[in-house]
Amino acid sequence: MVNLEEIKKEAKKILEEGKVKYIIGYAKSSNILMAAPVFIKKPEDVNKLIWNPTCFQNLVKFLLDEKRKKAREKEPDTRPVGIFVKGCDSRAINVLLQEKFITREDVYIMGISCEDLGVLDEKKIFKKLKDEKPEKIEFDQGKNIVISTKEKTIKIPLKEILAERCLECTSSFPVISDVFWGDRNNRSPKEPFKSLEQIESLSQEKKWDFWQQQLSKCIRCYACRSVCPMCYCDECVVDSINLAVTADTSAEEKAQKIKWIEKSPESSENFGYHLVRAMHLAGRCIDCSECERVCPVDIPLRLLNKKLEKVAKELFDYKAGLDPEQPSLVSSFKDEDPEDFIR
Amino acid sequence: MAEEFEPKIIAFLCKWCSSAGSDLAGVSRMNYPPNVVPITVMCSGSVSPLYIFNAFQKGADGVLVSGCHPGDCHYIKGNFYARRRIALVKELIEYIGLEPQRFKMAWVSAAEGKKYTQIIQDFVQELKPLGPQTKLRREK
Repeated sequence: MVNLEEIKKEAKKILEEGKVKYIIGYAKSSNILMAAPVFIKKPEDVNKLIWNPTCFQNLVKFLLDEKRKKAREKEPDTRPVGIFVKGCDSRAINVLLQEKFITREDVYIMGISCEDLGVLDEKKIFKKLKDEKPEKIEFDQGKNIVISTKEKTIKIPLKEILAERCLECTSSFPVISDVFWGDRNNRSPKEPFKSLEQIESLSQEKKWDFWQQQLSKCIRCYACRSVCPMCYCDECVVDSINLAVTADTSAEEKAQKIKWIEKSPESSENFGYHLVRAMHLAGRCIDCSECERVCPVDIPLRLLNKKLEKVAKELFDYKAGLDPEQPSLVSSFKDEDPEDFIR
Repeated sequence: MAEEFEPKIIAFLCKWCSSAGSDLAGVSRMNYPPNVVPITVMCSGSVSPLYIFNAFQKGADGVLVSGCHPGDCHYIKGNFYARRRIALVKELIEYIGLEPQRFKMAWVSAAEGKKYTQIIQDFVQELKPLGPQTKLRREK
C-alpha cells in the first residue's frame, strides 16, 4: 500500500519550494464513496489529501481548463501544475502530450500506482447494499472494504467491487511521472476485453436491439463529453455555435453551415452523436470510463470506446497513451495494414 | 406483383481514380444498375466517418467508399489513411448491429470502369434481400 504521509510530505515540499502553482488532488467529500477533487495552493492544506480506492475521478480534465485559463491571462504564471494521477490518468496525459495540447513543462506529474487493486465502482456497492445508505467506510489492509450502514456492518473483498476497467487494466501504474509511489508491476489480465464478449457474441439483430435500447435513453446532456479528458475541441461537431442566425442571414449562408447532427434526442441523432464520439476517441480513449460513470441514464458508453480500443489493438497493434512520441492511430499508417475487407 | 425493392447507394468516389473510373464506365456505355448516387470527393482520405453516418441517417441503404489503389494516390498517402479509418468505421457499425453488407470500400483506378460496374452490380444484389435500411434513418 502507498503511504499517504509520504505523499503529503512531497506535496508540502514542492509547494513550499514554489515548484508548482498548485496541486490537483483528491480530498474527502460529502459522499463517502467518492473522493472530491481538491486544489491545494498553500502548503498547510496538504492534510486534506487522501488516497484510497474512492479516488476514481480522472483529474486530467482540469488541465484543459488550466490551459484555457492561462491563455486568457496577460501575465500567466508559467510554473507547472502538480497533479495526482493513476495509471489510466497518466495515459490521458500522454495522449494530450502526443497531440501537443499541453507541453511536458505544464505539468508536474505525481504518479500513484494502483498496484494489484484499482478504484471502486459506486454502482456495484449500491447493489451490494441494496439501497441502504452507507454511513462509514474503512479499508482493511487494502484487501477488504468495511461498510457500515444504520443497521449493519458488512465486509466485502475489494476485488468484488472494483470498477470493470480495473479488472481489465493492463498497466495499473503511471507510465509517465515526475514522482512515483508504489510498484511498477505489469498486470496481465487473462481477458482484457471480457466486457465486450457478451455483445460480440450476439447476432446482428440482437446487437441492434441492445444498442437501440441503450442509446434511445440518451437525453443528450453531453455529460460524457464534459467529463472526457480527450474532448477538448473548441467547437464540437454536435453544436454549431459559430453561425449566428440573424434576420439578414441568407438562405445560402445557412445552407453552407451544414448541421451534421440535430439536437433532438431521437434514436437516429443519438446514434449519430455516439458513433461520432466513439470514432473521435478511437486510439485516444484511455479507458478511464468517466463517461459511463457520469451518465445519468446509465448507458454503457465504455463498451463503445473499448470496442475500438480492441480493434486498434488487433488490427493495428496500437495502444493509446503508452508513449507521447508515437504517431496517433488515425494520422499514421503501415504498409501492412489489413485490407482484406476492401475489394 | 409488388414492385421489387431498389436500394439506394451513396458512393464517395475520389476525384483522381474512382470518379474517373465511373466516368469511363459511363462513356464506354457499360450497363450497370442506376441505384448509385455518386459523390465526388477530393480523396478517399477526405471521407470523414461523419459523411458515412450521415448518409445512413439520410436514408442510404448502402454506402461505398472508393479510392485509388494503394501507392497510386494523387496525394501520395491519402488512401492509406482512409484504409485505417474505414476499417474502424466498418468494425464500429458492425458492432452496433447494422448489417455489415451495407458498407463497402473498394479500390477503383481510372482504367477500371469494368470493375466499377461489377462492384455496383454485386452491391445491389447483396442489398436487395436486406430491404430498406431503417435503423439509422431519420424519422421525417
